[in-house]
Amino acid sequence: MSTRRQAITLYRNLLRESEKLPSYNFRMYAVRKIRDTFRANKMINDFKEIDRQVANAKESLELIRRQVIIGHLYTTDKLVIEQKKTLRPSDD
Amino acid sequence: MSFTQVARSCGRFAAALNTVRIAKTVVQTQSRMMHRIAMPAIGSQLTQKQMFTIRNYSARNTLEEIEHRVLKVVSAYDKDSRCRWQTQSLRSYSAKPPLSLKLINERVLLVLKLYDKIDPSKLNVNSHFINDLGLDSLDHVEVIMAMEDEFGFEIPDSDAEKLLKPADIIKYVADKEDVYE
Repeated sequence: MSTRRQAITLYRNLLRESEKLPSYNFRMYAVRKIRDTFRANKMINDFKEIDRQVANAKESLELIRRQVIIGHLYTTDKLVIEQKKTLRPSDD
Repeated sequence: MSFTQVARSCGRFAAALNTVRIAKTVVQTQSRMMHRIAMPAIGSQLTQKQMFTIRNYSARNTLEEIEHRVLKVVSAYDKDSRCRWQTQSLRSYSAKPPLSLKLINERVLLVLKLYDKIDPSKLNVNSHFINDLGLDSLDHVEVIMAMEDEFGFEIPDSDAEKLLKPADIIKYVADKEDVYE
């Protein structure tokens, strides 16, 4: 059986891990998807369904971890929108 | 000899004189130029052996020299990497600005104001996230994560669930960073 605390830890780990994704599009998609899915499923009362969703989230967490590693193996340049605008390079 | 013949011959003579003068100046300038051209030629003939060795040396060095020079110029003008290196070195040696309670307070409230689900007008140091500001537990997790990003340390779950007011966060950060009044 899954507890509330477990779900919150899972949510946190998922968000933390998906922030490490190097590709902007995947990163943003992951964060949006995690937030929306947790919000959409927060009213579920059926324990079986909760367990199923938690197992699903754990699987996704493993998937994100794998993709972080693979993404870092094949990095590309950052998109223009990701680059910080600085007047002088010395003051970040 | 008629007068006209004399005049013609005089004219020819004058013309001949003119051409001689022109030729003289041409020869003079040519000789001047020749002098300039001849000098290095003689020099090269005289020091042919030396020149040969010098040239050989320079030819062997040119590629390396050029490469060296080009790399030097490139490294001097490669501002991007140079600046990156500079900022990195600065960062690794620099200390962060000292925190005060007031500064922590301002930074916590700023982060909370920028969070889209919190109404800035309702925000107060003592407002409860869930009861007063209407956040749920998932939003609370995100707020704590934003605080971690802001202050650069991790807040464990067991501590995070106790931080239910901005005042709690300020106190917690101050304790972590050893900031006292």
